[in-house]
Amino acid sequence: MVAMENADHIAKLIVRCALKDRAAFDVLYGAVSSKLFGICIRILNDRAEAEDAVQEVFVRIWTKADRFAVSELSPVSWLAAIARNHCIDRLRSRKAPAQDIDDAFDIADDAPSPERVAVLASEGRRIDTCMEQLEADRAVAVRRAYVMGESYEELAGRFKVPVNTMRTWLRRSLLKLRECLET
Amino acid sequence: MSAQEDSKQGPEGGDDMLAAEYVLGVLPGAERALLVTRMKREPALEKLVEEWHDRLSPLGNDYPETVPATSVKQALDKRLFASTAATAPERASLWNNLAFWRTGAIAALGALAVALIVPATLVSPPSQPSPGLAAALVSDASPVRYLALYEPSGQALRLSHVAGERVSGHDFELWLIEGGNAPVSLGVIPDGKAITITLSAEIVRKLAEGAALAISDEPAGGSKTGAPTGAVLAVGEIGPI
Repeated sequence: MVAMENADHIAKLIVRCALKDRAAFDVLYGAVSSKLFGICIRILNDRAEAEDAVQEVFVRIWTKADRFAVSELSPVSWLAAIARNHCIDRLRSRKAPAQDIDDAFDIADDAPSPERVAVLASEGRRIDTCMEQLEADRAVAVRRAYVMGESYEELAGRFKVPVNTMRTWLRRSLLKLRECLET
Repeated sequence: MSAQEDSKQGPEGGDDMLAAEYVLGVLPGAERALLVTRMKREPALEKLVEEWHDRLSPLGNDYPETVPATSVKQALDKRLFASTAATAPERASLWNNLAFWRTGAIAALGALAVALIVPATLVSPPSQPSPGLAAALVSDASPVRYLALYEPSGQALRLSHVAGERVSGHDFELWLIEGGNAPVSLGVIPDGKAITITLSAEIVRKLAEGAALAISDEPAGGSKTGAPTGAVLAVGEIGPI
């Protein structure tokens, strides 16, 4: 995350985009495009579609930059939310789940990457501690939903439980997570 | 902001749980779309969603970074800044919207092509390039889409209805938004595919200086207060064609 070093810097760039400062947009792209493209690839599991999606994400960043001012999210979370929202919208409007979902499963079940291990020491640590308090399969379901955009139907199929059961699992897990994060 | 139409479709946990499920990404498409629409009118709901984004965002540290091909930035620049620098901001937002349409509705393309070609050929004298103004009025939050076109030959704004129907007993009202000023009503939009709205010279001047147009959902006959009272259904900056 070479250029994500400074949240204030990113915030200023977003604000300058709201003022239609194209140079700021270019710098912002350089700073966050690999992060946002990574999100699109992981959720869409299709490089060509992810390229299309990340373009749309940056179009939204450019056109909705003024909305950042009224958001309470950190700049990076705000940007990531735009990318995740757009990619999950794309997923939900697909007619059928991606064919190669099992490939994606293999990727997701890999051991934590060095990068991920590194973030355990920072902001991710707290939520990881809380995730560890969930039952193992539920934590996997939460992570797969968030990181890969899997739907209740897909998760229910994967864990071989009825959709309603999966919904109950995830809702309870979300409540537990919140309780843990707020203590 | 009026939210009287909203059904209180609350499962156990209510809106907070819906917000959590939305952020987690598991809501089925229709529920997801409904929540997005509601968020635009319900700041409290939007806040719940933000809080969940904030809580869960560390899970996003799992995303491996991948540098996109340089062609992605080139295509993006072409899409956002295709025109010359002088009119870049106005054009940028117009073209954004057009690009949004391209991915959304094929029908919009047809309307667009007609609207962009007709005035250019019928109205512009060859010696006077680019006199027309256009705005694509769209929003992610609603299916309502209009194309607005100002022809300098007359003081009229032509609206082309592309998509999205009004709720029975409601009207669409058109607003001019200029800088930080309060929206100025340009009147209720009559039902129909192609509508012409007469503008005062003052409004024409503001449009030419680069204003935005917005459409709100209002009670039949239009807002009683002189300001938008319902959800903003579509919005777009007007810019030179």
